[in-house]
Amino acid sequence: MYQLHNPAQDVKTPVLFFTGKGGVGKTSVACATAVSLADQGKKVLLVSTDPASNLQDVFGVELSNNPIEIPGVENLNACNIDPEEAAIAYREKTVGPYRGKLPESVVNQMEEQLSGACTVEIAAFDEFSHLLADESILKQFDHVLFDTAPTGHTLRLLSLPTAWSGFLEESTHGASCLGPLSGLGDKKDMYGKAVQALSDSEKTTLMLVARPEESTLFEANRASSELREVGIQNQMLIINGLLQSHDSNDEVAIAFYESQQDALSQIPEELKPINTLSLPYVPYSLTGIDSLRQLVSDHPFVDRGNNNEDIELNQLAYLQDVIDDFSDRNTRVIFTMGKGGVGKTSVATNIAVGLSEKGHKVHLTTTDPASHLDYMFKNSDVEENLSISSIDPEIEVENYKKEVISAAGELGESELAYLKEDLESPCTDEIAVFRAFADVVARSENEIIVIDTAPTGHTLLLLDSSEAYHKEMSRSTGSTPESVKALLPRLRNPEETEVVIVTLAEATPVFESTRLQEDLRRAQIAPKWWVINRSLSAAGTDDKVLKVRASSEKQWINKVENELAERCAIIPWTKEANLNNDSKITQS
Amino acid sequence: MKKVEIFDPAMCCSTGVCGPSVDPDLTRVASAVYSLEKKGEDITRYNLANDPAAFSDNETVNQVLHDKGVDALPITLLDNEVVRLGAYPTNEDFAEWFETKTDELTEKPRVRVSMKLD
Repeated sequence: MYQLHNPAQDVKTPVLFFTGKGGVGKTSVACATAVSLADQGKKVLLVSTDPASNLQDVFGVELSNNPIEIPGVENLNACNIDPEEAAIAYREKTVGPYRGKLPESVVNQMEEQLSGACTVEIAAFDEFSHLLADESILKQFDHVLFDTAPTGHTLRLLSLPTAWSGFLEESTHGASCLGPLSGLGDKKDMYGKAVQALSDSEKTTLMLVARPEESTLFEANRASSELREVGIQNQMLIINGLLQSHDSNDEVAIAFYESQQDALSQIPEELKPINTLSLPYVPYSLTGIDSLRQLVSDHPFVDRGNNNEDIELNQLAYLQDVIDDFSDRNTRVIFTMGKGGVGKTSVATNIAVGLSEKGHKVHLTTTDPASHLDYMFKNSDVEENLSISSIDPEIEVENYKKEVISAAGELGESELAYLKEDLESPCTDEIAVFRAFADVVARSENEIIVIDTAPTGHTLLLLDSSEAYHKEMSRSTGSTPESVKALLPRLRNPEETEVVIVTLAEATPVFESTRLQEDLRRAQIAPKWWVINRSLSAAGTDDKVLKVRASSEKQWINKVENELAERCAIIPWTKEANLNNDSKITQS
Repeated sequence: MKKVEIFDPAMCCSTGVCGPSVDPDLTRVASAVYSLEKKGEDITRYNLANDPAAFSDNETVNQVLHDKGVDALPITLLDNEVVRLGAYPTNEDFAEWFETKTDELTEKPRVRVSMKLD
């Protein structure tokens, strides 16, 4: 239904940015595009920000932030910049000199303030800008490909006059989201050029990457409209991993194919006018130059053999074991945590239903629209023990913003603009949602609470430091709600609270979950269970394409079980796992 | 002429909204400081997150932080003496120190330089 991506034909600008939700294959698509262009004789620079350093495996060569030639692909150069590292370097540069000079509590506060998502985002933009503003790079290469893109939040911040006027540094109180850009004035020209290059349609194309799944299409749509609003008009959409044909005797394959087609039939309206291409679901993993070449060739399907056959897996626990464990240990608050699209809600729902079937009183709170929950419970007799509420993140965030703006009192025009942009940061969403479910926990008594989202360690540490602040001070200044204060100690108590990490048996989701776990550990929360959701290998399939994919899951299942999780359970892929997607769309 | 220095805690965004609660005092203090600066008064603010040198170099502030820890912030010095700990000065404080009226402390900051990036 969509034409296959053919880089030689489709790429028309010197600069390409790839954006999309984690796990959609941005890096693979960018690599395949880069290799293909280089094979056409174009000079290509591929800039990766992949912190998993998958690129080093893909090309079999060590990369640094200086471009090097890739052996085996003439005309292709690549470099890897790690915004996470750039942010750490910035943080250390700021904080390091004061260790030993200022007391530890002071140094810790400085560090935590520089550990948020914004710091990383801005650090990434700083790295892009060096490349985008460098004329010699654009002269040297026909194409420069970035495997990620700046967010609208970053670009809007940079176009606010307050970011540049020096006003904030002089007279108010801000390191602000712009932290890593301090000494901003010096870089004004560079950022100006970078932003200009981004919004020049002759120069730059934004490549939106999605999978045939509702959540990644939704994310592509969000990024598309947000970046269009800041002037990036030239956009293309690539549907990655589209199953072209399937074994019509294999139940899993039929369901898999249908769920992809369902998701595509409900593609967001705003994405429809965008030039859309596809890349096929292929029976091999995209490492090595040959497999990348093959992906964008005219024969993408030839089986490349399978190198995971020899991995033996242990018998893993199932979700029922997780439920039994919580039931036996009388866990009171259960969070499911993971990046969007891994199925946190369905795992939370199944845990809640499982516990109520065992006779526990359970309250389930979800950040997904409630309609699909009604659907899920139609045939169940658990209603007596199970109550459900939902939190609409959009409404919570709106309310929180209103509250903040009115609490801030009278503001000058420029301060208001700045405050509003600060409120667009990812931290704000997290805090608003956290406050909402703190209310739910505070209201409930004698019930097990299951929540399909969890705060990050960063938020918890910020909340924690502010709680200490309020405890110490006779005169409380800010307004941390009681419910939030009461929740923190409960979260830290492993007798009472468990965080379940939900992931998929693929590279990026496993990597992202690892980071979530590390972040939680900083806040002294140790997740016990990892749940690997939607596993094709656990489902069992004979379809020749899916079978190879199922086998490629093994190395990730192995890694989770042996290196990352204290205990690990697996949920087979089923069509039901995607039910929430369908009903969510019909509802909105 | 009196000299006032305010040492703020670290804030990840200028408005403190990245944190769990908003302090309406922040904007009041911002307006007061702006108004006083405009009148040519000697008043300065330092944020721990982007100007830690000010905290470590100032002996008085450094000592307070070693004694009381980070919760002592914000710290206000009047002519190098600690006058406020753990809370911002009120507008009445400012008025007294700079011999002015509180209603002259509420001027809104304006954008002075504007730059369009597109």
